[in-house]
Formats: sequence, C-alpha cells, structure tokens
Amino acid sequence: MYRVNPPVHDAGCGLLSVDGLGVAYGDVVALRDVTFDVGAGELIAVIGPNGAGKSSMFRAIVGLVSHAGAVALSGAHCHHQRDRMCAAYIPQRSDLDMGFPITVGDLVLSGRRRFVPFGRRPRQADRDAALGCMRRVGVDDLAERPIGTLSGGQAQRAFLARALAQEAHVLLLDEALSGVDQPRTEQLLDVFHALRDDGVTLLVATHDLALARRRFDRCLAINRGLVADGDPRTVLGERELDAVFGSALAGTV
Amino acid sequence: MSWLLDPYQTDFMQRAALAALLVGVLAPTVGVWVVLRRLAYLGDAMSHGTLAGVAAAYMAGISITLGALAAGLVMGWVITAFEGRRRLGQDSIIGVAETLMFALGVLLISQTDRIGVDITHFLFGQIVTIDRTDLVIAASLTLLALLTVAVSFGDLRALTFDPIHAAQVGVPVARLRYVLMALISVTVVVSLDTVGLLLSVAMLVTPAAAARLVTDQVSTMTLVAVAIGVGSCLGGLTLSYHLGTPPGPTIALIAVACFVLASLLTGAGRARRRTVSDIASGSAPAASQVATARSAS
Repeated sequence: MYRVNPPVHDAGCGLLSVDGLGVAYGDVVALRDVTFDVGAGELIAVIGPNGAGKSSMFRAIVGLVSHAGAVALSGAHCHHQRDRMCAAYIPQRSDLDMGFPITVGDLVLSGRRRFVPFGRRPRQADRDAALGCMRRVGVDDLAERPIGTLSGGQAQRAFLARALAQEAHVLLLDEALSGVDQPRTEQLLDVFHALRDDGVTLLVATHDLALARRRFDRCLAINRGLVADGDPRTVLGERELDAVFGSALAGTV
Repeated sequence: MSWLLDPYQTDFMQRAALAALLVGVLAPTVGVWVVLRRLAYLGDAMSHGTLAGVAAAYMAGISITLGALAAGLVMGWVITAFEGRRRLGQDSIIGVAETLMFALGVLLISQTDRIGVDITHFLFGQIVTIDRTDLVIAASLTLLALLTVAVSFGDLRALTFDPIHAAQVGVPVARLRYVLMALISVTVVVSLDTVGLLLSVAMLVTPAAAARLVTDQVSTMTLVAVAIGVGSCLGGLTLSYHLGTPPGPTIALIAVACFVLASLLTGAGRARRRTVSDIASGSAPAASQVATARSAS
C-alpha cells in the first residue's frame, strides 16, 4: 500500500505551529492573535459559529490570505506559499462546481502538480502515487467516475486522496462533514482515524459538536480568536460553549 | 459529393475553407474554458471591445489584426487588474471595460466613416475576401494558441475546478487568468474574417456549450466541441455558397442548430433515465398506470 513520505520534524518542534495569527479583510478583523501547536498524528475538531474565522484560519495557514503572525511547518517558518505545500486545505464542497467534468482519477492526479514541471505530463510514478492515495481512502474503484456523481462522503474521500497525493502531512478540512449522512460520516471518521494513526494531522472544521466530543482527540474553539483548546470534553463544557456560541447553545451537547 | 466539393474549385474559396477550418478548431478549443469558467459574457464583451482596435488600426494605417489583438489584450489586462475589487463582481468590471472599448470603437468609426471605410466587413465577417497574408497570420496565431492550451491543459483544469487548490500546489493562477484572456482575444481576432466581431462569440461559446451537454470529461468535451466547430464552419460555408446567404450568420446558425440538437438529445435521455429510475424506486407511476389514469379521466 502506498504511504506518503513521513513528516520530518526538528527536535522540540510541532508539525504545525501557529503564533499570533491574525487575518483582516480591509477594516474587518476575521481572526486575532491565534496561537497553538499541533503534533504529528492528531485529529482535531475546529468549532465555532459561522463567521468565527475557521476558514480564514485555514486559508492563512496555507498562505492563501495574507496574515499577521507566524506559521511554521515541521519547525520551519513559512515565508512563501511554496513553503506550505505540505499542508493542504480542502474547501467546502459548496465553494466548488461539483458538476465540473473531472473524474476522481484526474482530480487526485492534480494533487501531484507540485512534482510535475509546467507543461509536462504526470509520470507513471505520479499515476502510481495517485492510485495508492485513492486505495488508501477507498476510492480507487471510483477513479473513472465524474466527481459530480459521488455522494458527499465519497467526494470528501476523493479530496482527501488529492491532499495525500500532494504529500501533505497537515490536512485542513473545511466543513468536511456537512451534507454527509450519519453512516457515511462514521465511515469518513474511520478514514480520518486511519490517517491519524499513520501520522497525518487533520484539523476538521465542523458544526457537529456531539461528533467533535465523541470522535476527535482535541478541540479548538474559535470565535474571531482562539477561545479554548484542549480535550473535547473540556472544551465542549457549558462555560466554554457559552463563550464561543453564546448562551443559546450551552447545555445542548 | 460534387455538392460538397463544387464550392471549393476556386482559390478564394479554398482560402476561405482553410480560414473556416482554423476558426472551427481554435474557437471551440478556447471556448471549452470559456464555458467551463462561465465566461460567455467575457467572450461577448471581448468581441465587442476589439472594435476599438480595428478602428484605431484603420485610422493609423497599420495591420487590423494587430490592432484588434492589442485591443483585446488591453481589455483583458484592464479586467484582470480590477478583478480583485471586493465590492464589484467580475461581470460589472467586464461591462465597464466593454463599454469603454466599444464606445471608443464607435467614436473612431464615426471619424473613419467620413473617409469612406466600410467597417461592416469586420462586424459581420467576409471570409471569401481573406488573402494569403491574413491566412498565414491566422494560422500562426491559431498554432500558438493551440500549443498554449495543450501545454497548460492540466493547470487550466485545476484553476477552473478549484482555484484555491491550484494556487496551493503551485499553479501560476494570476498568470494563467491573463493567458486565458489573451487566448480569448486571439480567438476573436482569428474569427474576424470568418464570422465577424459580432458573431465571434457564437463560435467561442456555442460548440463548447453543445459539447458540454453530451460529455463528462474536459478532453472529450474539447474533441466534441472541435468536431462541432469544424462541422459548423465548413458546413456553413458550403451551405452559404449554395443558398447565396452570408457565410458568417450561416455558420453561426449551424452551430446553434448543433446546440439545440444536443440539448434535445440529452433532455430526452435524462427524462428517460429519470422515468426508469423513478419507476424502479416506486416514486413515479408506470406508463401503464399513467395511461389508465388518462383514459379514466
């Protein structure tokens, strides 16, 4: 079975370190002074209300929006976007045209772009790597299917395979569980756990607080800043939820 | 067979056929990305905006092709430069740029009209008057554009489907957007003599839109779009010879007929699939039940 190259760590450094991260769009501050450290093989739920800055945080980590503060991957500070290619951001499906004519195989192969020089066709090694990533998340039998014909859970696994083909060790998944039914959510979580056990770190933005408590190792609560960080049972306590979502939600998890 | 070959006994009709072939290949190839990126309005605006370059080139006494190309590139640059404005949608920026270039073109034409220049040649195309030099320029531009699409095919697909991921894995997103603008501009220029400024968007959008209805992969969509484009251009030219109609609109109408046919075929196919799956799942009455209900009423 295909495995991505293991992440390289500097001694004493986390796989992902975020220090004083801030994002603003003009005068609107989306995120302020977020600091946390993540090791290899962690499965982290990122919770917060709509507009809390979860997507902005993910996009800042991979360098898609300009930000204040510092981001380091495997102990190396990221100055340019090319320094961050071992982190992959998987956007919400609603941000994409899921009717686009692309097969799962071609989608996953596009993750190899960083290894293929401009104007060249992917090599056989790239095709093998893409196939291995599809096998790893169980979509190899869907390789010829157009992406628009997949269920929500299958599509999410295809995007995971693309991120693995990119040889990313940190996966940032935005609302990955939205629109996925309960049995397939559990299957997807099983894939997350398997990847975590292989040393991949996953940060998953979700609104499903019960699931965050039940199946994640750690929880980051965001509301335009980092409100809480730790064990889901602690972070999803009544006082912490009140701070993140307001009193309406406290006690419902 | 002679009905098909008779029109092409003369030199000028052979040159016209070659010009039609170039447009039939290039416009749908670029049009695939115009359709997938939902840029049909941009294609229309680019074709209108090129008028400024055509008129300016007339006045300056330089190559019309170069003038049109320069106008398209300037328009593409203006649109790309203003694209990031958060308060404005891309369609608004395209609308403003089109207004600027088209108004400028009309203004210049009002001056050129006084010196007796017939601009309708470029508005509606005049494929049978194309000379050898025009043909060589069109062929060179077509070759360059096709090579560009071939080399950047994977990156264009990545950019179109998921620009965020494309940027993450090193696709030169901003540069590629400008390249696409340049490709549209080149396509409009190559289409000038064949279908004219006003109908160039027909060849840019219609074959690709028809192909999109019947295909599920970009590569197949490109091949089908090119087949429709070549068929429309050569079929339109042949038909216009026999019917005595203007070639530009005849070519455009054949492309539209292909779109309507693809639409009818896929619509019928979808309806048939839906009926079968609905009956299988029990959510729709079987045809026999419908017939019984109708006869009862």
